[in-house]
Amino acid sequence: MAAFGDARRGGRLFAWAWSALLLAILSFLVIYPVMMLLLGTLTDGNPVTDGYANMHVSLDNFFTVLSNPNVHEILGNSLIACFGGTVFAVLIGLTFAWIVVRTNTPWKGLIAATGMLPLFVPPLVAGVAWSILGSPKTGLINTFLAKTGLDWRINLYSMPGIVFVFGMYYAPYVYMFTASALRNMDPSLEEAAEISGAGPVRTLFTVTFPLILPAIISGMLLSFVVMLGIYGVPAVLGAPANISVLTTYIFSLTSWSPPRYSTAAAVAMILMVVTGILVYAQQKVLSGRSFTTVAGKAFRPRSLNLGPWRFLTLGLAMVYLFIVVVLPTLALVVAAFRKFLFIRDITSLFDTKQYSLLHFERLFSNPATINSIINTMEVGVITAVIGGVLSFAIGYTTVRSNAPGRRVIDLIATVPVAIPGLVIGVAYLWAWIGLPGGFYGTIWILALAFVARFLPDTIKALSTSLMQIHKELEEAAWICGRGTLSTIATIMLPLARPGVVAAMTLLFVLAIRELGSSLFLYSSGTMVMAVQLLGYYEGGNVSVTAAFSLVQMVILGVLIGITNRLSRGAAGGVGRAG
Amino acid sequence: MSANLEIANLRKVFNTGKPAVDDVSFTVEAGEIVVLLGPSGCGKTTTLRCVAGLEHPTGGTIRIGDALVSAPERGLLVPPRARNVGMVFQSYAVWPHMTVRQNVAYPLKGRGLSGAEMTRKVDGALDLVDLAQYADRPVVQLSGGQMQRVALARSMVYAPRLLLLDEPLSNLDAQLRLRLRDDLRRIIKAAGLTALYVTHDQLEAVVLGDRIGVMQNGKLLQMASPEEVYNRPADLFVASFTGASNFLPGRLRDRQGEFGSVELDGGLVMQAWCAQGLAPGAAVTVAIRPENIRLEAVAAENRFDTEVVSQRFQGVQTAYALRLGATTVEALATGTTMPHPAGSRVAINIPPQTCWAYPAQ
Repeated sequence: MAAFGDARRGGRLFAWAWSALLLAILSFLVIYPVMMLLLGTLTDGNPVTDGYANMHVSLDNFFTVLSNPNVHEILGNSLIACFGGTVFAVLIGLTFAWIVVRTNTPWKGLIAATGMLPLFVPPLVAGVAWSILGSPKTGLINTFLAKTGLDWRINLYSMPGIVFVFGMYYAPYVYMFTASALRNMDPSLEEAAEISGAGPVRTLFTVTFPLILPAIISGMLLSFVVMLGIYGVPAVLGAPANISVLTTYIFSLTSWSPPRYSTAAAVAMILMVVTGILVYAQQKVLSGRSFTTVAGKAFRPRSLNLGPWRFLTLGLAMVYLFIVVVLPTLALVVAAFRKFLFIRDITSLFDTKQYSLLHFERLFSNPATINSIINTMEVGVITAVIGGVLSFAIGYTTVRSNAPGRRVIDLIATVPVAIPGLVIGVAYLWAWIGLPGGFYGTIWILALAFVARFLPDTIKALSTSLMQIHKELEEAAWICGRGTLSTIATIMLPLARPGVVAAMTLLFVLAIRELGSSLFLYSSGTMVMAVQLLGYYEGGNVSVTAAFSLVQMVILGVLIGITNRLSRGAAGGVGRAG
Repeated sequence: MSANLEIANLRKVFNTGKPAVDDVSFTVEAGEIVVLLGPSGCGKTTTLRCVAGLEHPTGGTIRIGDALVSAPERGLLVPPRARNVGMVFQSYAVWPHMTVRQNVAYPLKGRGLSGAEMTRKVDGALDLVDLAQYADRPVVQLSGGQMQRVALARSMVYAPRLLLLDEPLSNLDAQLRLRLRDDLRRIIKAAGLTALYVTHDQLEAVVLGDRIGVMQNGKLLQMASPEEVYNRPADLFVASFTGASNFLPGRLRDRQGEFGSVELDGGLVMQAWCAQGLAPGAAVTVAIRPENIRLEAVAAENRFDTEVVSQRFQGVQTAYALRLGATTVEALATGTTMPHPAGSRVAINIPPQTCWAYPAQ
């Protein structure tokens, strides 16, 4: 217990100073921006023109926003989209968890692995791909339907479209939670039901699903929260049909002229409160797993012999993977490589003369593209380094030391879990835009916002790997005559290195695909890939957008491959996407 | 170089409940090996960790040689790194990212030694634990017993003033444990180190320790040589923890000096050694080790007629259950023959110095 433990005055003083330093950094990164967001919520001023000094703080502003019928409609839209998406995600995720864990469906491993892919796809890229596939007039699917002579068209520029894409892409969250619950469930509970005379289907609905209900609810809440904070999908699929949700509304408020920063802050506050409540509920459900079905670990899950039906479940899985992985990728490839997106007939689809690198040339001939890639890499590296060092410092302090105030440090570092990226963006905007000194508009503000946003994920990954290092390994070094810092350098860091490297790469990946908070913090000189992609999309050039989407997918794919290699063995994970 | 260790009135109270170490005082002389023995949760490991500086005592003083290292009442707590003690951990705690040599050389760095001197010391320590030929292996390739010897070499290489060992053998398999147990005493004695050793295994304590301290519920019950702990346990707990399994209730009739006669429940009268402070008329419990019951009557004192209730063959010894008056006692006879079938009668002798009367609990 003695990391900073010498109770001699010097050691204690050092421990206090260290805790104070960490608290100061966290206040700067998390508390100050959230406080400024709160201030923004309560004023009707504009920090750029008025400065912070001339603000009239009153609850009236917030109530004005709350009573605005537009806000009601938009909040309603958000809840409908996320609720619909969640229901759909639970249907898919639960079915998949059952197929993979509990049946003898062929190629289960492959299904389980590729089923996680949607989590890595940036929401904006998913939105772009599905707009290419499902736009009412020019969508590839409708083109095909027209060619086959069917009198049936689809329109993804609609609420059902948003619900469909949400459900498809965030089903893996539900899958993750329910699959592990199913895997850890004592099979004798189900066997008891069958001995008592229940058939497999009745067992499933009266024993299995009720028993893993906490996992289902937890997965539901998490996917709901993630959907609530997504900008890319509703921006692409909702805008043409005039469907606004909280995220798109907040962004549009700041792009009006003059920008409505205080209204944006108020709506962001609503979004944060809703998210906070749901995250809190999820943590409660997770921690209070009332029905403990997990007894030790020694059993292997029962797998149901489906007989010929196993090809039906395989088919279902393949259809899902086709819709969520193959089809959008194909759409992006076709759009990016075809000279003209218009497809006259099926044979023209396979006509190689129609394909070229034209759009890629156009993409890369624009210096903004290269700049955005360079900026993104720079932000990614800064985020990974600062975030990695800070997370290690916080993780070590909370897990391994008895430094004063470590619980408070831990608590504050967890707060960003409940703040959607877009809200972090608005909070940072409020915190820095009115201050002289030019911090706003630099690459550092993006990096710091990302560090704050992903702090909980990185700390969690790092703490897990720190906890795996036996306490006595560290104590042995102290006994051998080393101080705290020397022990960290020679024992803890080398032993935690796989975890540290994995956490930093994870941070890098999360940072370069982040759109929500970037939207409010980029400037013309610090344009990042995700925002540049949005720019291309809004500029109306679908083919260049698709080409850039593919470029980003390739970059992400390579990085995620590296992360997975590095984190094999070390604790890590996907973290929150979105 | 080795120093003595003086612990006075050591107390450690964790946030929850009763003290883990409750007013413990003892001394380890320079060059002596003292073993703290007790069931898990008795406070022995906490005591050791307080000496190491890994745990902060609530009260009392700890002195290593002339240096006071812990006196919380005066705000004095020397951190582990400055105490110049060596420690062998239960989990070995050898660093998996280093070779054997790197592990052993680690504590020497930063002590102002030349490279040659360092190599000489590391080689010396590895020779002592018989691991010289493994010096450049990564430690993860070693067996559990070898890892524990690396840990031992690492803890001794800088000739610490005091060596602390926290159940160092408990993670090893039984055979290896026996071998290393004998090795450990030889190596520590060869290096001339003062050692404090913690274990829950009585045999380990007897073989290793110059003296044994028995602990329970945070208190040090007895600190004495192994022979004394085994032959004159301070109380019922020490007697039972070190292997006495027969407990006969009775009443002290009279007492002459250390010995007295006890009337057992059921009427039999037995001569027994009496714990301090027992007065005639007191309710007592007489504790007897099964090994000390002799299944042949050679003396008139404490001679009893018994009936064999059952016999259990245990290989090189046989365990008998014998009806003695109103109760049944367990006796052990060495040898591979079983001369007393169940139902037969046998006269036994229990030497009075092996019958210990304590206040009844």
